[in-house]
Amino acid sequence: MLLADFLEPSTIVYEQRILTREEVYKDIINRICQLRTDIVPNCGETLLELILEREKEAPMVYPSGIAIPHIRLEGLADTLIGMTFLQNPLNYDGIKVDWIVMIFTDKTSSKIYLNIVAALLKISEDEEMMTQLRSFNDGYAVVNYLRQCKIKVGQELCVADLMVKNPICVTPDTLLSKVDSLMNVHNISCIPVVDNEGRYLGEINILNILKVGMPDYLMMIDNVAFLRSYEPLESLFEKEEIVKAGEIMQKNTRVLSSDASIVETVYHMLKDNKRYFCVVDNGRLVGIITAMDIFRKVIKA
Amino acid sequence: MSATVSMLIAVGIFIGTYILIITEVINKMLASLIGAFLLILTGILSQDIALRAIDWNVIFFLIGMMLVIAVLRRTGIFMYIAIKTAKLARGNPLLIMMLMFVVTAFSSAFLGSVTSIMILIPIILLICNELKITPVPYIITMVVASNMGGAATMIGDPPNIIIGSATDYDFLDFIFNLTPAIILATIACLGLIWVMYHGKLKVSRENRARMMSYKEEGLIKDKRMLKISLITVAVMLVLLALESTLKIGTASISMSAGLFLILVGQRNDIEHIMVHEVDWVTLFFFVGLFIIVEGLVQTGFISLLAHKVLELTHNQARPTSMAILWLSGILSAFIDNVPFVATMIPLIKQIGTVISQPNLMDPIWWSMSLGTCLGGNGTLIGASSNVVAIGITKKNGINISFMEFTKVSVAYTILSLIISSVYILIRYF
Repeated sequence: MLLADFLEPSTIVYEQRILTREEVYKDIINRICQLRTDIVPNCGETLLELILEREKEAPMVYPSGIAIPHIRLEGLADTLIGMTFLQNPLNYDGIKVDWIVMIFTDKTSSKIYLNIVAALLKISEDEEMMTQLRSFNDGYAVVNYLRQCKIKVGQELCVADLMVKNPICVTPDTLLSKVDSLMNVHNISCIPVVDNEGRYLGEINILNILKVGMPDYLMMIDNVAFLRSYEPLESLFEKEEIVKAGEIMQKNTRVLSSDASIVETVYHMLKDNKRYFCVVDNGRLVGIITAMDIFRKVIKA
Repeated sequence: MSATVSMLIAVGIFIGTYILIITEVINKMLASLIGAFLLILTGILSQDIALRAIDWNVIFFLIGMMLVIAVLRRTGIFMYIAIKTAKLARGNPLLIMMLMFVVTAFSSAFLGSVTSIMILIPIILLICNELKITPVPYIITMVVASNMGGAATMIGDPPNIIIGSATDYDFLDFIFNLTPAIILATIACLGLIWVMYHGKLKVSRENRARMMSYKEEGLIKDKRMLKISLITVAVMLVLLALESTLKIGTASISMSAGLFLILVGQRNDIEHIMVHEVDWVTLFFFVGLFIIVEGLVQTGFISLLAHKVLELTHNQARPTSMAILWLSGILSAFIDNVPFVATMIPLIKQIGTVISQPNLMDPIWWSMSLGTCLGGNGTLIGASSNVVAIGITKKNGINISFMEFTKVSVAYTILSLIISSVYILIRYF
């Protein structure tokens, strides 16, 4: 999400006059209230009081010269932002502030709020961007500039952030016995198959190995309840030294690129009913991503 | 457009489509539908006439049967019978082959040859693997059995379903006229199996013991559903037999049976069954064929051909029957027998309007049915069940080449066609 998409030019002002903090806040509140008339009646006074009260408890002022007063409103269901660039900085207990950004959020949406604050701080610490921003004189220029700079709200995780890099892999002529022991030792259920240059060819999972003991005709039978034992399956280990990875690997399976999003990854996992995907960039295997990685790092974190 | 030009275009599209179907350059359903709609685009057929040419009785009859089979399969009865049969033979390889021949033929007569093959071939592959014997002769003889069994009834092989729908013959007519011929041919083929394979297949006691340990009792999980299914199939067959007096329509009978079984047994799974177990590709292949053949009928090509045939056979029923029996037999060995029958039906109907004695049409129709169904055995590509069986076998690493198959199957084909000829000549003339 881009920060620019949260902004409205009509709520962005360049102020030349010398004003008090209250006067600046009141002006911003009025502008924000024009966006959403349902925040009135009488919002000016009460909202201002609420903001000032909150600011007394925990002032949102930063050394880079930005103040971010904030108010949470029940049932707002939106994030509204107003800002003023001051020609004459205000003094916040010794910190000179020339950029005031006021944020109205819903009671529940703390994550977006925190991400917006983080984005604003990053901008305020960037001298070059601040010089640019101060040089404008209307809201449209600010929104356009921030859009050009592609300032994002919140980081967007991608496969590369969560995948296991340089996973264990085998080549097509690796013997099944080696594949089996790799799976055993590293406690994994899938091994990518690559050529000598590291190009992705396919993958082997635990079911591909068991399939060696189950011929196709058995899979075409409607029901195998009459079979109590089946010799080829039980003597699977005899084939360990004969069968090679290239013969049993699954080809043409879906792979993901390392810049794929997490939502795309989960989407394919559910659609294909698969718990892992090999990550391939320009034909080269770069990693492997599992449902457990996503579960641990995204859901639990 | 003049009549001759129309006819030439229709014949051109027909031949082009057939070439695509035979060579399998593209999927045959795709070929038949493209051919069909080309006839409409070129103005040879109006859309109205083309759509009316589709024999919906055949299409819905097949859908109904596919639904019945989908439910019946899940009861495990086919597996049960197949395993029971192998155990009944006590692992004797020749006896297994002969019994499986009979089971395949019987199952094909009532459930269709392709379905029977799809169920039975994987089982015979398993059994042969356990007994450590080559499955190739089993596969070939079972394919032969499936095409023969399918010829015995109106609902066995698609050619018979199409003939049944296009003519006034009912289920019982097929039984009375075709089944005796097939029983005779089956007995002869069993004799041929004995001659070809006795003493050639050996099984060790150890392997036999493994096969005898199969617990087929576990296959039938829902006895109640099995009972309901078998009763429904029996009622369906009785209704089909009484169809000429009841006048319900064969499609409605099979659809009723199918819908009833789905409602009782698989109503929660209907979407899966409709998508995966109704063979839409085959059904739309037929749809395209009906339209393409209508192109030949409407442009007068079929009646032209009918007159030529009668000129050659001097308007006599006996030589016409024999010519059709052997011609069908030979041609359908190389062409899929469904398009062949779809083309022959209007031709024979046309002959029926010219031939001197109308009652002499019977042997002509039965000759065509026997010829096309049995001729399907002639080569590896003669019928759908051949292709399906070889496909399954190939997936399991056993390649049966065109020659290897044909070398064996052609003997059974010629034998069964000779028996059919004798049967027709003795019974009808």
